[in-house]
Amino acid sequence: MMLPMASLIRREYLRWIRAPTWVISGLMSPILYLLLFGQAFDLSKLLPSGTPPSALSAVLSGAPNYFSYFAVGMVAFASVTAAMFSGTGIIFDKQLGILQRILSTPISRRSVFLSSLVFRGILTLIPAFLVVGFALLLAHVPDVAGLTVGAGVTVLDSVQFLAAALVLSVAFTALFLSFGFAAQRIESYFGVVTILQLPILLTSNAMYPTSIMPTWLQYLVGFNPISLAVNIMRMSLFGTAGYAYSAGIYFAGLLAWAALFVGLALLLASRALRTNPAASPSGGALSQAIAE
Amino acid sequence: MAAAVGVRSPADRGQDAVIDVADLRMVYPGPKPGAPPTVAVDGVSFHVGRGEIFGFLGPNGAGKTTTISILTTLLQPTAGHARVEGIDAGTRPHDVRRKLGLVFQRSTADEELTGRENMAIQAGLYGHSGTSVDQRITELLVQMDLGPVGDRLVKTYSGGMRRRLELAVGMVHDPKLLFLDEPTLGLDPQGRAGFWRYIRSLRDSKGVTVFMTTHYLDEADQLCDRIAVIDHGKIIATGTPKELKDGIGGDTLEVAVVPGAPDLSPLVTPMPGVKGVSRREDTYRVKCTNGEHLIPKVVLAAEQAGISVRGVTAVKPTLDEVFLELTGHAYREEGETPKPEGPGESGGDSASRGPP
Repeated sequence: MMLPMASLIRREYLRWIRAPTWVISGLMSPILYLLLFGQAFDLSKLLPSGTPPSALSAVLSGAPNYFSYFAVGMVAFASVTAAMFSGTGIIFDKQLGILQRILSTPISRRSVFLSSLVFRGILTLIPAFLVVGFALLLAHVPDVAGLTVGAGVTVLDSVQFLAAALVLSVAFTALFLSFGFAAQRIESYFGVVTILQLPILLTSNAMYPTSIMPTWLQYLVGFNPISLAVNIMRMSLFGTAGYAYSAGIYFAGLLAWAALFVGLALLLASRALRTNPAASPSGGALSQAIAE
Repeated sequence: MAAAVGVRSPADRGQDAVIDVADLRMVYPGPKPGAPPTVAVDGVSFHVGRGEIFGFLGPNGAGKTTTISILTTLLQPTAGHARVEGIDAGTRPHDVRRKLGLVFQRSTADEELTGRENMAIQAGLYGHSGTSVDQRITELLVQMDLGPVGDRLVKTYSGGMRRRLELAVGMVHDPKLLFLDEPTLGLDPQGRAGFWRYIRSLRDSKGVTVFMTTHYLDEADQLCDRIAVIDHGKIIATGTPKELKDGIGGDTLEVAVVPGAPDLSPLVTPMPGVKGVSRREDTYRVKCTNGEHLIPKVVLAAEQAGISVRGVTAVKPTLDEVFLELTGHAYREEGETPKPEGPGESGGDSASRGPP
């Protein structure tokens, strides 16, 4: 049971380590956002001079400055951007017949899906870590805004931060994997992903505080899984003051999204790996691939 | 043990048959709702004995790949059953997968991995790991003439190397039953000959049973112990290559006589073993069962009648002729398939299967 899964994970690892260009492309936009957007777009400068730091901090959910607030949002954004590539491998495997070869071996269908989820989920976390490190580093560069963390951050807070990042990664990895299982061609996959990318990001509180938004948008933002994860991560670093709910509630919401996306991915994966063409109206991706 | 042409007794069914297929049907739903379904396999029955090299011969779109996909559990049949080592591929696919090795038409190796890595991962999918597997991989690489390139990335391999690696990957877990789907597609004559040699040695040294599809008639003729000829989803004949060729009337003698000689036909027609005589100008074509033995008789009779014979050639039948005889149409070449095998958009899609 474990060896077949480990073999598939090793395969993905070897392929990834030899073609890591997508890591660079996945990291590019969060780093640019940190270096350029985050430096230029300092919301606090728009406040009237003489505004007490406490008022600013209240708007920024306890963060000491706008960049620190924004950097945590970019951690989530980096994860989601990296997750967008999760479904590509499975499409190539389908097109090249590699998936059929794997399915002709005794490995279980669920293991095929799970090995992708595990590997891609971990891969998706790497950019998140890099963004945290980069943002912390920027705090030590003169004349550049960086991530400043409160002195009261405990080990437990760090674990909470990591847990939120991990669940967010798994959720979006599963979502984009499910698109990969459903799509027949790489073009249609990226078509859907590109359509989703900006709405997912812009309806979150990754870049700007919810309090300055119109009410209808606040509702949308409140339910966005990125917002839920970012809330938990900001609570870990900047304190829990000013939030409507506890971290546990946000975590429950985030887990619900993750469960939904993993469920969707399982459904679409089992449809794609099904061997009976009569059972699904589309004929099943695999049987179509065989028949072609 | 070998069954007669197209017939098999109930006694040899299932017992020592490694593969047992009965009344297999595969109907693909139409590409759109309301579109007519495609019957890819239409009531196919056959069996493969242990240690046989069994060839599934037919043009593109005949139902070969569909049948192999059902036997290797990649497709659920619409009706009928397919048993491998007595296990039903439709109801217990997981157990069947353990029994077989499968080599696909096209290269399914990972380009970014080395040949050795591809094989190790495939072994892992069967739950095999450790030094014994590493040894076996090295052995297989050497056997397949891939020894020096085993640690190179597959994307640097030539077409022939890829085909051989494909076979090595399919053999890595040491299966006793090997499925080969158009294994020599795209190989040069030398590569094909080497491939045949290896398949024969597998059968001879390890008792591996081989089920292979091919649309090369000469390959089926030279490599396979028994052949099933399939066309339009139906098996139209089964037997050894010799049985099939004998079945259409054996040999043909081409007898050339001097111009203006008297008619030879009345002399030859009554001879034993002769099935028919046709004449085109000064050449007679004598269909017969015993070509070589007939030659002296024909020459003697002709000379006695004062007909001077310029030459006699005994022509052994080819599977091309068998195919023509059985189907009423010549063997179709690649890309001329009038009927799609799967639920593709149109009849033309089979041509995309890959260049020879």
